[in-house]
Amino acid sequence: MTLRATIVGAGGLGGPIALSLGAAGVELAIADHDHVELSNLHRQIQFTAMDLEQPKAACLAGLVVARGGAARSIASRWADDTADELGGDADVVIDASDDPVTKFAVADWAVANGRCYVIAAALRYGGNVMAGAPGVACYRCLFEAPVDAPTCADAGVLGPAVGAIGGVAAAVALTLARGDRALAGALLVFEDLRRAADPRVVRFAPRPGCPACARAPIAPLASPLATPVRVTEVH
Amino acid sequence: MPSIRVPSALRRFTGDASDIEVRATTVRDALAELDRRHPGIAAKLLDNGVVKPFIRIFVGPDDIGGLSGLDTQLAERDEVAIVPAIAGGSDA
Repeated sequence: MTLRATIVGAGGLGGPIALSLGAAGVELAIADHDHVELSNLHRQIQFTAMDLEQPKAACLAGLVVARGGAARSIASRWADDTADELGGDADVVIDASDDPVTKFAVADWAVANGRCYVIAAALRYGGNVMAGAPGVACYRCLFEAPVDAPTCADAGVLGPAVGAIGGVAAAVALTLARGDRALAGALLVFEDLRRAADPRVVRFAPRPGCPACARAPIAPLASPLATPVRVTEVH
Repeated sequence: MPSIRVPSALRRFTGDASDIEVRATTVRDALAELDRRHPGIAAKLLDNGVVKPFIRIFVGPDDIGGLSGLDTQLAERDEVAIVPAIAGGSDA
């Protein structure tokens, strides 16, 4: 069975995510409205000087295809009026954007449509990766609402840290897309990759009154670690 | 003594120190002690004594939201981790 993923953002995180998932045989839709700039190249290593001023999504999708993968590009932001088209029938939606509003929008759409999702972020020397799935506390349970969270433009980022976080996000996305829910509802926190590569894996409680969970097609479980229901066939 | 793991985004308050040991028996006391030694950091975490919505606090792997909130008791070797929302990636 072919797995499908939508990647929102074709930059520092989107690059390693797309290349690794594409090489793993996942069919990709890559969305990004932006163009390649010289200042991107130190951390968005999928691009070269030959790509300057070209659309990021198309450049990245082309690279995936050149390596034998399947990818299409969409030169668009994730927004309410584009979400259904971008999310499509993806088994997993991955946010690799630099925008808090987009992260919440991607997570909300995934929760409302019963999809798995990954929210990835890198900053300075580390980053976070959240594994989302139906029935567990969601990204809005975790951080409630978009704020002016620090971005790479504000605080800077170590190029290799972006690659490492992107690789982890791809691995988590592939795991979720294949139906493995071991990490569902977990947040992987990489505090400083210069010193330690092991993440702190934390789980968080559903937020009472979370509006995203209230719209979910599947009622949240009492606990992300709840024992699965065993179905026994009776003859 | 319990310790607080300070996220990189807030280490400007701690002189770039990542782990701060505190004499405290609850998370609330621990944050107060942290702010006493590094003034201004609590204002980034709390709003009128409540944890800001884009900050999560964990004791070990456990979210204090699922424990007793800021009144969660700390044991001698507990580690309190502060996890803020971050947004770095691509300006998609």
